[in-house]
Amino acid sequence: MKTIFEISREGKRAVTFAPLTVEEYKFDEALERKEDLVLPAVAEVDLVRHYMALSKRAFGVDDGFYPLGSCTMKYNPKVNEEVASLEQFTMVHPKQDNDSIQGSLELMSDLSGALCEITGMDAITLQPCAGAHGEYTGLQLIKAYHKDRGDDKRVKIIVPDSAHGTNPASAVMAGFQVVSVKSNDEKGVDLEDLKNVVGEDTAALMLTNPTTLGLFEKNIEKISEIVHNAGGLLYYDGANLNAVMGVVRPGDMGFDVVHLNLHKTFSTPHGGGGPGSGPVGCKAALKKFLPNPVIVKNGEKYEFVNSEKSIGKVTGNYGNFGVMVKALAYIYTLGGEGLKNASQTAVLNANYLKAGLEDLYPTEEGRHCMHEFVCSLQKLKDETGVSAMDIAKSMIDGRIHPPTMYFPLIVHEALMFEPTETENKATLDNAIELLRGLYKKAFENPEELHSAPHTGQIKRPDDVRAARNPILK
Amino acid sequence: MADYLSLTNEEREEMLKVIGVKTLDDLFDDIPSHLRVKNLNLPEGKSQQETYEFFRELAKKNNVYDSIFRGAGSYDHFIPSVVKNIVSRNEFVTAYTPYQAELSQGILQSIFEYQTMICNLTGMDVSNASHYSGATAAAEGCLMCTDKVKKIVTFDNINPDNLEVLKTYLLVRGVELTVLPSKDGKACLDTEEVFGGVYIESPNFFGLIEDVAALAEKAHEKGAMAVLNANPVAYGILKNAKELGVDIAVGEAQPLGLPMSFGGPYIGYMATTAKNMRKIPGRIVGETVDTEGNKAYVLTLQAREQHIRREKASSNICSNEALCALTVGCYLSAVGKEGLKEVAVASVSNAHYLAKGLEKKGASLKYKGEFFHEFVTVTPGKAEKINEALKKANILGGLVLDNDTILWCCTEKANKKSMDKVIEIAGGVL
Repeated sequence: MKTIFEISREGKRAVTFAPLTVEEYKFDEALERKEDLVLPAVAEVDLVRHYMALSKRAFGVDDGFYPLGSCTMKYNPKVNEEVASLEQFTMVHPKQDNDSIQGSLELMSDLSGALCEITGMDAITLQPCAGAHGEYTGLQLIKAYHKDRGDDKRVKIIVPDSAHGTNPASAVMAGFQVVSVKSNDEKGVDLEDLKNVVGEDTAALMLTNPTTLGLFEKNIEKISEIVHNAGGLLYYDGANLNAVMGVVRPGDMGFDVVHLNLHKTFSTPHGGGGPGSGPVGCKAALKKFLPNPVIVKNGEKYEFVNSEKSIGKVTGNYGNFGVMVKALAYIYTLGGEGLKNASQTAVLNANYLKAGLEDLYPTEEGRHCMHEFVCSLQKLKDETGVSAMDIAKSMIDGRIHPPTMYFPLIVHEALMFEPTETENKATLDNAIELLRGLYKKAFENPEELHSAPHTGQIKRPDDVRAARNPILK
Repeated sequence: MADYLSLTNEEREEMLKVIGVKTLDDLFDDIPSHLRVKNLNLPEGKSQQETYEFFRELAKKNNVYDSIFRGAGSYDHFIPSVVKNIVSRNEFVTAYTPYQAELSQGILQSIFEYQTMICNLTGMDVSNASHYSGATAAAEGCLMCTDKVKKIVTFDNINPDNLEVLKTYLLVRGVELTVLPSKDGKACLDTEEVFGGVYIESPNFFGLIEDVAALAEKAHEKGAMAVLNANPVAYGILKNAKELGVDIAVGEAQPLGLPMSFGGPYIGYMATTAKNMRKIPGRIVGETVDTEGNKAYVLTLQAREQHIRREKASSNICSNEALCALTVGCYLSAVGKEGLKEVAVASVSNAHYLAKGLEKKGASLKYKGEFFHEFVTVTPGKAEKINEALKKANILGGLVLDNDTILWCCTEKANKKSMDKVIEIAGGVL
């Protein structure tokens, strides 16, 4: 397909503006741009057709099943989009005076309260713009907490070898060193190894629960005790909260700081890679370090206030407000019972999908999974040469978005499935049938899988060439 | 209550049977019962109708001003209908990050086109797929300069929010941040210090156009890099980052088609020279070919990124602002070179008209330098009063900086009539 630059013709334009009503101001020529500004020149109809064609070469959760593990691709309700686009939310300047933004402040305050209740935390900031940004913010809170106590030697963050890549990367961004802790036979944290690595230099342990294997970390209380006894804090990566809303709260499990992904758990759309929103909750002892400003209710009025011990600001304004509107609309529509039902159904769907596949696609034996599960295709690969990648790419021909591939790193030839609660039984049955068929085909006609997809927009791309000879514009 | 689920009770029973458990609760047997929560203390669920009505009422507690003369980081520009229409397509809105190139060519191409437009605007060689906001792009742009010398120099005339974010991002990494005093509102790189990078905003917080080329040259003489944060609308008529000789171009692209939305979602643009290609944080889309030799787009240079390099990554950024990048791409395509120039010229001309009008009523301009579409007036003791008077006419005046000074902003949405009204009302106070 041609780029918008390739369909551009000098002399065309899509949008016109009101004529100037005052005298034109001219800058000194020395300030003016000399380089020609190359932007598309298209009529409105050309523009619309171009982007419509692009949209048909995209695949969203509204197009079909999207079991992308760890990403919680649930349905994005349309009423949330509509209320977020109300003019009183979109046409408001962030630096308006207090009495003209009471609606926004009340909304943020209500959302903070609801998220505290769901996570078992005492205070929350809505400022971070995405999950990794939340991790970064949460780790800075932890750093400030230790520093404030005069405990300057806590320079290390412990991260399980099964963790998301953002965990160690965020720790470094927040000025920490990273220590890895091994997984045990049940793919949880190895308690003996944890005892070995914790110490006076431990700032915190970062953990997801359910883990990245989609299993509940049964030893969570022991882990909490080990880390806290060593003087460290426990950080909850909220990537997997969709399994346990209304069932168990991070705060009750012993976590001190948590980040959430509103664009996963709370149904706000992911937009092809953002905007997201990554609120960070904490226990009372860390509240004073939250990014400035925080919202307080003073009588009947909501206000922004600054805390002296705050870590500062992590983005320019107050975070992705438009995303917050959608998340609160979701929470208020479902209510406490509805959120619990959503989590339970997410777990039901995952276990049903797993039950339909696990004789062919082996996963952790003998345990129920939570909202997602990880299969290893190592045996299939050894026997047929067909890899996790081949199976994933073949799913595209069945109009199903592939699961997460090759993650977590501790499982070989991993495929991670997260169906979410909003899928129906027929969709799951169809996926089971497709995947069972692909397994059979791996033995009969592996070549067909190696060269999949056959009905995609493109065949498999040459990633090595893209990185060696970068064409980036 | 709406729940957005799609299973009947019979289907649930059937599924439990297949799994081999009696109740839903059995699936949670790994969770110790004493840790379980009984009920969440949240309002009862609502129907969609009630949700809509609830939020419509809540929204009424905000005020939408008829005209807006405030900027300071968020700008009230006209957004063409076609932009809003295109970016609401569900295929774009409900997709994840385009990890699977074979069914994400549309999103990848939209980002590739965005990158091209950002490169063309700034004159830089490489753009990423976006950053969270102008402030975070600025902070991570500065971090790119700290490989050798862990010190960044900037000025007291940058946006205070950006300064706060710089502090948060730099200090925690052990990078020193020196804030030099400005002279008559403009940056002055008068220092003997050795630093890794200089961070400049032009137009700066007060709207003044800096002598960026001279500042960048000074930085280069010291072996440091120059990071420029510019309002992208200014690139419609003013010299671009390449012409000014800077190494890293960052900024807030909200003025290019995104509503003010109480501060977000916005989008940080970030571009640099070819030399820094493997240092820039965030997603980058590249062009390649598929196994049949057809053109294909992929996420590339991923060896910089967290999911590959973990603690050795150039940044932790994962999700960015893809839908906002789509919006910017669509806006720039809709207005084109001529349209962006018109927006810039109208904003600048309106700002100069308003400044003159206020001067005639007794306000004075705080700074002498050339300004873009923002400027600071001095009206001793009257700043708040002017804004209060404007508010009565449902006009959002400039940002009050202190008792005496106001930072004003005009966009193409202002016109002679609306500005004359501001001048008249302010004149009544003065």
